[in-house]
Amino acid sequence: MNNTLAIARKELRSYFASPMGFVITGLFALLFGWFFYAYLSYFVRSSEQMMMGGGTPNVNQHMIAGLLQNAAVIILFVMPMITMRTYSEEKRSGTIELLLTSPVSDVEIILGKFFGAMGLYAAMLGVTLLYVAILFFLGNPEWKPVAAGYLGLLLMGGCFISVGLLVSSLTKNQIVAGISTFAVFLFLWVINWIGESAGPTGRQIVSYISITEHFDDFARGVIDTKHLVYYLSFITFGLFLTAKSVDSERWRG
Amino acid sequence: MIEVQHLTKRYGRVTAVDDVSFRVERGEILGFLGPNGAGKTTTMRILTGYMPASDGRAMVAGLDIFDKPIEAKRRIGYLPEAPPLYPDMTVREYVDFVARIKGVPSKERKDRVDTVMKRTHVADMADRHCAKLSKGYKQRVGLAQALIHNPDVLILDEPTAGLDPKQIIETRDLIRSLAGDHTIILSTHILPEVSQTCQRVVIINQGRVVAVDTPENLIARLKGAETMFVQVDAGGADVLPVLGAIPGVLGIVASDQRGVVGGFEVESERGTDIRRQLARTIVDRGWGLLELRPMRMSLEEVFLQVTTEERPDEPTNPAETITPAMVEPVPGVDSHE
Repeated sequence: MNNTLAIARKELRSYFASPMGFVITGLFALLFGWFFYAYLSYFVRSSEQMMMGGGTPNVNQHMIAGLLQNAAVIILFVMPMITMRTYSEEKRSGTIELLLTSPVSDVEIILGKFFGAMGLYAAMLGVTLLYVAILFFLGNPEWKPVAAGYLGLLLMGGCFISVGLLVSSLTKNQIVAGISTFAVFLFLWVINWIGESAGPTGRQIVSYISITEHFDDFARGVIDTKHLVYYLSFITFGLFLTAKSVDSERWRG
Repeated sequence: MIEVQHLTKRYGRVTAVDDVSFRVERGEILGFLGPNGAGKTTTMRILTGYMPASDGRAMVAGLDIFDKPIEAKRRIGYLPEAPPLYPDMTVREYVDFVARIKGVPSKERKDRVDTVMKRTHVADMADRHCAKLSKGYKQRVGLAQALIHNPDVLILDEPTAGLDPKQIIETRDLIRSLAGDHTIILSTHILPEVSQTCQRVVIINQGRVVAVDTPENLIARLKGAETMFVQVDAGGADVLPVLGAIPGVLGIVASDQRGVVGGFEVESERGTDIRRQLARTIVDRGWGLLELRPMRMSLEEVFLQVTTEERPDEPTNPAETITPAMVEPVPGVDSHE
């Protein structure tokens, strides 16, 4: 546990020791802010129409849900940049030799790296809470659906990170790791588009695999155990494969 | 303290380490000598638990590195060929991080970090980023990292590579001062280093152990005859037949040393000292005796002899610990990454 913590600390520190952590957090905040603005102005316009028609606009339903779904897409683009260096860089510079000859188990190293990346990701999400705070300041949205949405974002990001770690453990070239991770993410995102043309059973299977499909309920403020189980088992499986990859690397030399 | 038995490592069809066995006693410094690509790094990586062996066992402090990796690694300090530094950490942060993952108790950690940085002479760079250190400092921070948890066993892969002469001397002194408390294996392809720091030498070539002994014994065993170097100012007279006539002289050749005029290498039977007769003969003739010294076979020559000359089908030299080297060339696997 201490080892995991030490490695997570080291990872987190290294993100912010270079400009990288700041650049990623900043860009993410910028993109999120742009979507926030777009959704807000759209919401203002449509709520005027809705009020004229006698309906009641709901910030949670008509704005935050959509905003978070878009945030999920930004994360898909940003996450490869966070995870691509985790293993590749250690392998390239030879520091992996330090980790693997220290009295630390592979699982502790992998969990350390996972929580390090999660730390940065949580900080990125933390910044976006400022935008949401504006909504609370000016309006009165419900906080529970927002919390559920952020929980969903965290879990979905965890899945991306576990895949990113796996891909990064396969190569010592950061760029290769980054591009491959991005391709895998994109595939997991668009896989349900194929599903639409498949038969009913095919569609069900494909939409179950899609990472983003499971996020929709979270964005609407619903915490369903089905999705929790999916995300947690996805993360576990990704980390398990990473452990296998690190171990097999060792045998191959 | 360290026991290696029949260690073998294959990468696909290439055998990098082939049936290597040796022991290192507590407090000893063992030199691991071999040309590049001989399998030194691979053997060390197996010993430190970085990679498993294809065959054989490696025991460190009585623990099998494969069966009990965590416990064994606690007792090992390892400096890889390239010091494993994180460029964006300061020296202090880095050493502190290593102390954490090596399991130094949190109460002692700060003291240990300070002590080790002082001992390896990197304390003045404590707040500098590792990326900005010179090669010599990087190497010493690497050494600090290996020492931080006060391990029983130190495994150093070319600890003086890339250092300037003054730093090399400092590092060797440091390593020598560590012996006794620590058992040390150090690899190198610089021969004087071995005779200056190590009590015993393992010479490895193409993955096989070709010799194990003390540096002095290795030199003595391989020396067939004594050779003297003399430099004579004979004023144009013919020196060769005169010196060749001295009893006990087996052969004499003009020295091919550059810039030396009148230099000769005189070979005599082992155990006979012909210096007196040589000097008397020269002085009696009225020639000037400019230099007279025994020529020692250096470790370098020993090394070349054991790593290049022998073939399995030829009778080998008298030393019984020296086994024939392999004939098939093995591509360099030492630096396969």
